[in-house]
Order: sequence, then structure tokens, then C-alpha cells
Amino acid sequence: MSSSDAEEALCQIRDQVARLQHRYATPERLKALLDQTVGFDRALWQAAVEQGQPAIAVPEHAGGMGMGWPGLAALMEEVGKAVVSLPLIATPVVAEALLASDDEAPAARYLAPLVSGELIACVAFAEPGQTSPLQRPELACSGDTLNGSKAAAAFAAVADLALVHADADGASQLMLVPLDQPGVTRRTQPGLDNARAHAALQFRDAKAYPLLRGDAAIGKIMARVALATAFEQIGGASACLACARGYALERKAFGQPIGRFQAIKHKLVDMYWRIEIARGCALDALDALEGGNPLWPALAAAARLAAIEAYDFAARENIQTHGAMGVTWEAMPHHYYRRARCLALELGSTQAWREYLLAEAGFDAAAA
Amino acid sequence: MDFSLDPADEAFRDEVRQFLREKLPADIAERSRRGYHPLLADVQAWTRIVYDHGWPGPNWPAEWGGCGWTHLRQFIFEEECALAGAPQLDVASFRMFGPLIMTFGSDALKNRYRDPILRGETCWGQGFSEPNAGSDLGALTTRAVREGDEYVINGRKIWTTNAHVANVLCVLARTNPESRRGFSMIIVDPKAPGVTIRPIIDIGEGHSLNETIFEDVRTPVDNLIGEEGQGWHYAKSLLDNERASSAEIPANKFNLMKLRQMAQRKRGDGTRLIDDPGFAARLARLEIDLQALEFLTLRALTEKAGGTRLPVGSLLKVRGSELFQKTGEMQLEALGDYVSYAYPPPEQSPHGIAAWPPGPAFAPGVVADFMYRRATTIYGGANEVQRQIIARSFLEL
Amino acid sequence: MSSASALLEPRTAVPAEDALERYRLDARAWLAEHAPRFSGAVRRGLPLERDVALGRAWQALKAAHGYGAITLPKRYGGGGGTELQKIVFTEEELRYDLPVAYFSISLSNPVPIFLRHAPETFRQRLGPPAIRGEHIWCQLFSEPAAGSDLAALRLRAERQGDGWVLNGQKLWTSWAQIAQWGVIVTRTDPDVPKHAGLTYFFLDMRSPGISVRPIRRLVGHPDLNEVYFDNVYVPDEQRLGEVGGGFRVAIETLMIERYGITDETASSPALEALVELARRARLNGRPALADGEVRAAIARAYVERQGLRSIQKRAMEAIAAGREPGPEGAIRKLLLGRMRQQLGALALDLMGADGIRLDPQGESSRDFAHAWLDPSVRIAGGTDEVLLNTLAERVLGLPQDHRPDKGVPFRQLES
Repeated sequence: MSSSDAEEALCQIRDQVARLQHRYATPERLKALLDQTVGFDRALWQAAVEQGQPAIAVPEHAGGMGMGWPGLAALMEEVGKAVVSLPLIATPVVAEALLASDDEAPAARYLAPLVSGELIACVAFAEPGQTSPLQRPELACSGDTLNGSKAAAAFAAVADLALVHADADGASQLMLVPLDQPGVTRRTQPGLDNARAHAALQFRDAKAYPLLRGDAAIGKIMARVALATAFEQIGGASACLACARGYALERKAFGQPIGRFQAIKHKLVDMYWRIEIARGCALDALDALEGGNPLWPALAAAARLAAIEAYDFAARENIQTHGAMGVTWEAMPHHYYRRARCLALELGSTQAWREYLLAEAGFDAAAA
Repeated sequence: MDFSLDPADEAFRDEVRQFLREKLPADIAERSRRGYHPLLADVQAWTRIVYDHGWPGPNWPAEWGGCGWTHLRQFIFEEECALAGAPQLDVASFRMFGPLIMTFGSDALKNRYRDPILRGETCWGQGFSEPNAGSDLGALTTRAVREGDEYVINGRKIWTTNAHVANVLCVLARTNPESRRGFSMIIVDPKAPGVTIRPIIDIGEGHSLNETIFEDVRTPVDNLIGEEGQGWHYAKSLLDNERASSAEIPANKFNLMKLRQMAQRKRGDGTRLIDDPGFAARLARLEIDLQALEFLTLRALTEKAGGTRLPVGSLLKVRGSELFQKTGEMQLEALGDYVSYAYPPPEQSPHGIAAWPPGPAFAPGVVADFMYRRATTIYGGANEVQRQIIARSFLEL
Repeated sequence: MSSASALLEPRTAVPAEDALERYRLDARAWLAEHAPRFSGAVRRGLPLERDVALGRAWQALKAAHGYGAITLPKRYGGGGGTELQKIVFTEEELRYDLPVAYFSISLSNPVPIFLRHAPETFRQRLGPPAIRGEHIWCQLFSEPAAGSDLAALRLRAERQGDGWVLNGQKLWTSWAQIAQWGVIVTRTDPDVPKHAGLTYFFLDMRSPGISVRPIRRLVGHPDLNEVYFDNVYVPDEQRLGEVGGGFRVAIETLMIERYGITDETASSPALEALVELARRARLNGRPALADGEVRAAIARAYVERQGLRSIQKRAMEAIAAGREPGPEGAIRKLLLGRMRQQLGALALDLMGADGIRLDPQGESSRDFAHAWLDPSVRIAGGTDEVLLNTLAERVLGLPQDHRPDKGVPFRQLES
């Protein structure tokens, strides 16, 4: 595909997604999702599947559209803007892991239904009581059998498959677990953002497919998830800025639009530069991933840190800009506020990724 | 300034502690320990207990029928109550409308409200803000027109805290349409014909805010607080009181204590968050902020007695509300994976008020409280506006 | 594991071997051959005049090889090259510690605007010596009452015969004491609103009536001056633009260097130097680099630098493709200035009591104390606060601040 073709394809993705969200991401639907313990918009997911969204980033030889992470990035930015919640990152990530695995059986069985959207996948790395999913897991794996648990993970309540990492005799092992089996228990509970369809997973002699081995390979899988998520965060943060700007122009106090007060103007610019820094980091990480630069996991970690900061800040200050209206259930800002924090927590904390970044960048205390 | 306690005050502290040990109901303490907003019934029951103990109005002067304690003793009382998990006495009754009536109100109003307030029987709805007059109160449009010995009120108020449970509303209305500040403060019965109250659900899914609509609502002129046309002046003094208590030292202290306990918990991997030097450094910064704020509050209380004209309340409000939010953000961090759980408030809990969901005792309430605390930098005049006031008054800009 | 890691690695690695990259390699080789004789140790301890002389020699050498003013026309001695070539060369040149500061304003703003608007005879006479470094040009804009608000300036120019007589004061003029020529904005009509009554000239800095006084800064930079004008005569043929059109020319002058290359540390030591410092410093018996707060600060700086690098790279790609770069480039100065101060303070913290020392020979790009001490990046060329306003208004489309002076004749504002 030539670069202008690719550019056009990305524009098409954005258009399509935006049109879809115009129909589905209405305040009423989004609020209804928050009101259930497991909020998952099946109708929106079906519509996304009909558009082929789960296939966008999957390579063509695996039945996907072959648009890679740039395609996924464009998609997730739009998803983030509309503050909808769709399990679109796990599918290409699981596909990557399946394609990279020496065992062809799981790929033969699951690749096609994942790409077609018939099956939903989730990524569950975080463990109860741990701040970092990047450290050695406690979930134990012996051969193809899992015992232990994973902390609440996005879409685990509705997924058919979970990608987890487990400890296999002192080494990290990436496993794909079919969730519909007696050895798997899902626990759901109302949370900060019910639209994420979180569930904690418990495994008792659950059967799973071993895919990849080693901390490095698993770190890269997580970095891929982090990078795609960064674009979702950037989309959300940009929507907050647009929302705050709109309100600042419309709302009047002391005889003028509040957007004329420097307290508000400077606040909005502080959102803007954080978003641009995050976007810069994320685009560079994407270029590095595509261009074969071995530093790409460090750049993906930088993108995640910048995107967390940008979205947290923009979501918080969007509420503040809206004044009392911002703390009402009826107004939209709190959807972003919830989402910002959830996306920051689901893949492990800022501290965990900071450590990953510094290690990848060679800034360890021990290193000479 | 010397803030160390003399033996008499130390003895007073012990007395308060003993009182709390003996009289604070366990279920009330447990709910606040788990981080929930106090129930109205809890606040009222607790106020009655304090009253019955012979401590009516801990922050009221003796001439109002209060305890007549020094500022320092009031402070000790509040701090001990907060640390023990007792709910704060109703701010609207004891710090806003009560003092307003006792200072500016007619004798009839004083007699009507004094004892009910002290016994914890009043619940006030504050009808100040309007859709187009939030931090800019001068823009409000609700009218009160005098007809014989009644006022007829028309208008729409928003963010009327507790209007749905209030047994008395206080409305700021325009009595002189010619003057930008021609307001009066008038008491209205929430059950009066023409009053419509609609709930506004907040981002924590709680209901304390309302929209209140007044259509030809009649209230006797006796219900005017102080003089007609002085409402602006009263509202300002009252909001300054609200802001002074917005430093919320006792609550901030309680939150920080809770954060410390959460960070000291051993996690699944055997480590403790408090041992992360970065986290510890940030926690230390909050402790320092709190300490500074506490001294500033004490100073403000002393100076208030001496009569300062500076809006210290604005200063306390800005710092106190931001400390509230920062502590909340760090609590969320300290929750670890329990953060993704929210817990319904006790009165909505399927398990009933006495039963608790699984997980550590500190987990419930943190998330809802975190959402709710977004409002602290907005209510009582947004912090941006407070900073303008500070710049104008303290810095003379 | 073999097939696994191969697939997880990104797919292609294409080295970009194009004309610009060749230009970079040529420049790098040329610099490696010549720059050492003009940079680093050679300059240590030189008095100003001798360092300026060294700078002029370096500028002349660059000009002879087409690097003197890469984007300016060849017929005046420039390189006739592209914006991107200039950026690439500057990036390479910044690796050395060369005496280029004396020309940085001259060749970035005054000389290019002069070459756009002056009569041809002047251009031919004055262009080449400026590009060869024989002449340095200064920019006389700011005044005591006109900093970020340039249009508030008061320096008067009144008609006299075929020219104008200038009276008043300019402030913060860089290198006025070594400049032969200057460009200046003056007030020619106080009876119209402030933006409308300005006129722009170029003038000989040796004209009778000009006196230059140095301003001492926090640390040893001898660059700033105040310049007094006492009945200074300027011929009308030295006017640039229309009478009353001076504000437009002034803005055009400032806009020439939209992508002026600043190094990514704003002339402070690199982040890597801070990491080294943190590795050596001890805290609680461990390297300070193990401390969470220090690590958080380093990570934040790394992320910001990474974001700015990316924005810069994308701007360059846009320029190369003939597109207008996005407005996000404007956040660079805002962030660099703050970061320089924050990291400077952190570095001094890590030095403990040693941090209070100030090396008189030190320089901000190698010495954290100097970098911390001088906050002028946050002030010069528009303060942080004005920059925030500009971004809010131009990029986010928020309304302008309340401006009580709008539309009011300047004379009424003067009192």
C-alpha cells in the first residue's frame, strides 16, 4: 500500500467510526452503561464488527485488513473521543501472539473467529495486590494448566478468551485461556467505570494454550497494548479539551464568556500542551514500531506516561471548567474522568511504567 | 504564635475523647470509617447526643445558647470527633444560617430557630445559585415582590444543597430590581405551594443537589432575615464562613490518616506503598500542607476574633479544597486493584446498613468520595474566582 | 522463541538515505574539519572582543562555504538553500561550542527583513558584509514600557527635511554594543491607536546621538544593553515599509524564524548529565537515582523531551513537504524554559551544599547552577504568560483579553 493510500484508508476508518458513534455514543446509552454492573453495548459491538473493526490491525495473511498499529491507533483515537468502550485492542494483540507462537493449533482454532468478531478477547495481566503487571506473575502455570487469579481486567466480563501471563517454573509464560470452562470463575462488581465490563478472573485447574515465553516477549506484548491505549487516551483528552473550550465560549460570568478569563485560558492551554506532548510521544513510538527501531518499547512507555498525564489532567480540568454543571450526573465530563482513571490503572500504574521506561532507556541505578 | 496546649486544654481533650468513647454509636463511626458521606439521620442523631451531653452548639458563643468555648477548644473538639469517625455537625445550621440569624435576625426568628438548631432538628436548603449566576452571584434574577405582609417569590435556583430533605429554605432574591446588589435573604417553607424541587444527581451517583423552582411562592415578611436589600452583604459574610470551614481541617486530617493507613498495608507481593520513596515524599508534602493549613486556620480563627477585613476564607478554601483532592487522588493510587470496585452507599446496599461488602475496610467509599470531591474546588465560589479575590484583597492587584 | 521474537519485532527497517541526509553528512564532515579551531577550549577565558573576532572569522569561513546564511539569497552572499538545510546544519553546529551567539539575532531577523524591504542599492552594499560577519545587526524593539506589548512603544520619530529625527530609549537590545547596524520601530503618529502609528527603519549604529549602556545580568552574559536616542537623524530612504506600517513589519520580522532551532535543553545540561549526577549522588545510603522522586522527575523530563522531539521532527517533515507545520511547535519554548529551571533546581539539590558554588567560568549548557540561575528563556521573546495567552487565542480560538487600550489614540494612553 502506498503512503497516500494508507493515509486515505486511515481517514476512512476515522469517518466510519465517527459515523457509528454518532448513532451509538449518545448520552442516554452511555449513562445506561454506567448504571449496570457490567455495562457492555452489544449493539455497538455488533455494528463495529459489521464494519470489520476487529480485523483492522490484523495482518492480511491472517485474514485481517493489514493496517497494523497505525490503523489501530486511528481507530482507538476515535473510540477515545466518543468515550465508548470496545474490546478492539485485545484482538490484534492476541492475533500477534498467536502468529508468533510455535504451536499452530490455537491459531487454527481461534484466529478466524477473533478476526471476524465472532469471539471477544481480553488482556488480563494485572494481579490482585500488585501495582505492576510488568513484574513476575503469581498466577501459576504447569504445562497447559493454570491456577491462581488475575485482578479486574477490561472486558473480562464479556470476553470468550483471555490473554494472561503466568509463572512457569520461574519464567514468564504467555497463555491464551478460553473463559467458558468450569475451571474459570469471573467476578464482577460495580466499579469506577462500569462501561469497561471489568471482571476479576480466578483459575482452578483451567486449561490454556501456552503461546510465548520470556519476560522480553511479554513486555513487548504489553507495550503494544499500551501504545494502542495511548491513542485512546489522547482521543479522550482531545474530546475533553474540545468540550471545555465549547463551554468556556458559551458560559458567561461577570459579563463575559469565561473563556476570556486568563484562569480559564491558561488552563485550556495547559491541557493542550499535555495532549500535544502525548501525541508526539505516541506518534514517535508508532513510527519506531513500524520502522524497526529497537527503542520502540521505551517510546511506547513514554507515550503511555504522557497519555495518562494528559487524559487525567484534561478530564479533571474539564470538570472544573464546567463548574457545578461538571459535577452533575447528567453532564458528560464525568464519563471522561472515569475513563481517564480506568485506562491509567488497567495496564498497571504510572509508577510501573515509569520503571519500565527508565529500564528500557538505560537509566537504571545499577547500570554503569 | 504558640500553638502548644496548656494543661486545662489537654484535660479538655481527654474529656472529649472519653465522651466519644462512651457516646459515639458504633454504627455511625463504622460508616464514616469506611469512607461514606454521613447520613442525614446520623448527623441529626449525633447532634442530639452532643446536645444531651450538655454541649449545645460547640462552636456557638454562650450568648447564643452555645457552649461558649474558645476557638482552640472548638478546634480540639472537631478534630477529636473527626478522628473518632463522628459526623461533622451540620455546616448549614451551625456555621451558616444559624449564625446569620443570631447575628442579623429578628428576635422572633432567633427564638424560632435557636433551639431546633442546637438539638439538630433543622435541615437548611441554600437557595443562592441560579443557572446563570454561579460564582457570579450579582447576576441572579429570582424576584421577591412585597404584597401586603407577604413576599411573592418567582425564580429558579440550582445547586440547592439538601433542598429535598430540608425543613427550611433560605432564598437569596432580588427585592430591588434597580440595584445590582439589591438582594434580600428570605426564609421559605419547602412545602409551601409553588415550590418544586427536582433532584440533580452528582457524578458519584449521589443526591444532595437540587433544582428548586419558585412559582408565586408566598412567605410572610417576618421571614426576612435582617434588613431588606442587605442580602448581598449577608451572603458574602456567610460564604466567607462557609469557605473558612472549607479548609475542613478535621476532615482533611481524617483523610490523610486514612491514606497513611492504606499505604502501610502489606500488598500481595509483600511490599508496602509507603516504602516507595516517591510516594512517601508526596505523602510528606501533603502532611506539610495540612500542617501549614492547620496553623493558618488557627490564626484565622484568632484574627477573626480580633476582626480582620481580609477574606482569609478564600485562602483557606483554595488550599483546603485542593488538599482534599490531592489526598483523594493518592488514596485512589493506594487502593491498588480495589480501585475498580465501587460500593453502593450504605442506605442503598443490598446487604443493608449493617452488612459490609468483602475487601479491606478502607476500600468502600473511597471511589465515590473521590468523584464527589471534584466539587470541592467549585462550590462556595470556584477556586479561580477565589484566586481573583485573593489577588484583589491580599495582593491589592 | 526464535520465530516468536522475530514476529514480535517490527517488520521493516529502511534507512532514510536521501539528499537531506547527504547534506547532513557533508556538513558534519565540514564541521569536524574546521569547527575545533573555533570552539571549546580555544574560547575559554577569552575577553569579549577577542571572542567576537573569533566569531567573525568563523562566520566568514562559513559564508565562504555557503553555510553563512543558508536560506538567504546567493547574490548577497547567502547559501540560497532551504529552511530544512539550515535546520540540519544548525543541529550539527550545536554539537560544538562555537562563538555564534553574536550573529544569531543579526542573521535570523534584522538582516533577512532588511533584504526583503530595503532598496536594492542598500541590499548590495550591506547584505554581503553582514553575512560575512563583518557587520552585526541588532534589533531595537523593546522599551521600558513596551515589552510583550510591543505596540505600546514610545520612542518618537519626527519628520525633518528628507528624514526623521529619533528621540527616546530602547531596552534589552542584544549585542547593541558591537552592532554596526540596527532595525528599529518608532512612533511617528501618537494621534492614532497604538498599532497604527508606528514606522520601521534601519539605521547606522554609529549615527551621532546614539549611546549604548550595558545591562548587567544575573550571570556573566554581556549581551543586553539599553540604547538612548538623542536627536538621531535617519534618512527617509532607510524606512522599511509604509509610514504607519511599522507594526506589520515588526511582526513580519519576528515571524521569520518560526522554526528557529533552539537546542532541546534550552542551553542547559542534557538530561543524561542529570542522570549521571543522580547516579553518583548518595541518598539514604543508595544512589539518588534509586529514589522514587528523582526517578519520577527524570521520567517526566524524558517524556517531555521525547514529545518535543517528535513535534520538531513532524514540523520538519511538514516543511520538507511544503506544508505549514502545525501550531503545536509553539509549546516548545514554554516547556523548555520551565524544564530548565526544574531540572536545574533538582541537580543543585543532588549536589547538596556543593550546589551553592558558582563557577565564574561556567556556562549554562554545561553547568546546572548557571542554567538554574538564569530564567531568561521564560521571559525573552514573549513571557510564558503572554505565550499562554497567544496559544489560547490563536490555537484554541478563545476570546482576547479585555484590552482597555483598543482603538484609543496613543496620546491618551501616554499619561
